[in-house]
Amino acid sequence: MVLPILGLLAGLGLGYIFPVVIPFAYAKFFSVALLASLDAVFGGLKATTTGTFDSTVFISGFFLNALMAAFLVFIGDRLGIDLYYVALLALGFRIFKNLAVLRRNLFNRHHKGLPQGIEPMI
Amino acid sequence: MKNIRRGKWSIACVCLVLGFMLAVQLRTTEDIKSNVSFQRIEDISARLLETEHERDKLKEELQQLKHQTAEEGSGAISEEIQMRAGLAPLEGQGVKIRLDDSNKTMRSGENPNLYVIHDDDLLRVVNELRAAGAEAIAINGQRLLGTSEIRCAGPTLSVNNVRSSAPFEVSAIGNKKDLENAMKMRGGVAETLKVWGIQIQIEPADNIYIPAYKGTVRHEYAKLTEERQEEEK
Repeated sequence: MVLPILGLLAGLGLGYIFPVVIPFAYAKFFSVALLASLDAVFGGLKATTTGTFDSTVFISGFFLNALMAAFLVFIGDRLGIDLYYVALLALGFRIFKNLAVLRRNLFNRHHKGLPQGIEPMI
Repeated sequence: MKNIRRGKWSIACVCLVLGFMLAVQLRTTEDIKSNVSFQRIEDISARLLETEHERDKLKEELQQLKHQTAEEGSGAISEEIQMRAGLAPLEGQGVKIRLDDSNKTMRSGENPNLYVIHDDDLLRVVNELRAAGAEAIAINGQRLLGTSEIRCAGPTLSVNNVRSSAPFEVSAIGNKKDLENAMKMRGGVAETLKVWGIQIQIEPADNIYIPAYKGTVRHEYAKLTEERQEEEK
């Protein structure tokens, strides 16, 4: 619980310290990549609550999803198909779904007690 | 258990990256917001147009009101004064001169400035017209007064602080023959300008219309005073 939040805060701090600005032309790809990463993180959180968490899958998913999302949008841009909104919709949908499962799992845990061998992270 | 422990660290690392991305995205969004977007530019230009329309309308109203007060005022004398001051529209015989930039194809290495109309070209035209007895002159609908400027303003010319660009139309009221001849004089303005390929058309006409001066006349520093005897040197 503490570690991920610390990591997030440290990341935010680093982001504020380093003056990195995405050029306007690439802002679109970056925002899709960001959404994909958010989705991956929520997916990971969900997986920890259902007990199917695998850090290799998680980390590879995080980076590859972000890269692939940005790449697909980029390809779409080149082909004249605006995949940006499609990506937003699909990823947004997945985030909400993951959140719903996460919430349900958390509540279930409080009602029925923890499943064996799983340490609560949240 | 070990898997979960490792998972904690991996999530922490990923969160670090995520936080970094979030911060960058936040800053990017702020930057984009603080930049003037195209939408904004369109908004502002639309508003400018609107304001200009409004301004024109108000000017017309002002003109009408001025006219009314003049009519209510002391009739013939004030009309005469208005005519002299350029505050009343005039009509009469005269010439209309159209000047446009050169249509010559420029050879490489030549100064393109030689082939466009400058303020001094127009000034020479106006000077010539005045010398030939023009009673009223307007450039692109701007009445020339004693205080009017003809000035280079980037790619445009500013007359009465109103900018306009080529082609320029100079209308002048006066004896049309005199005015035409003054312009077409050998070695005169028209000939010099034609050397540079500047297109100049001089049309004498019987009903040249010259609008009234639309700006405001202010005397902020000048005050009426008594006549003083000054020695002529």
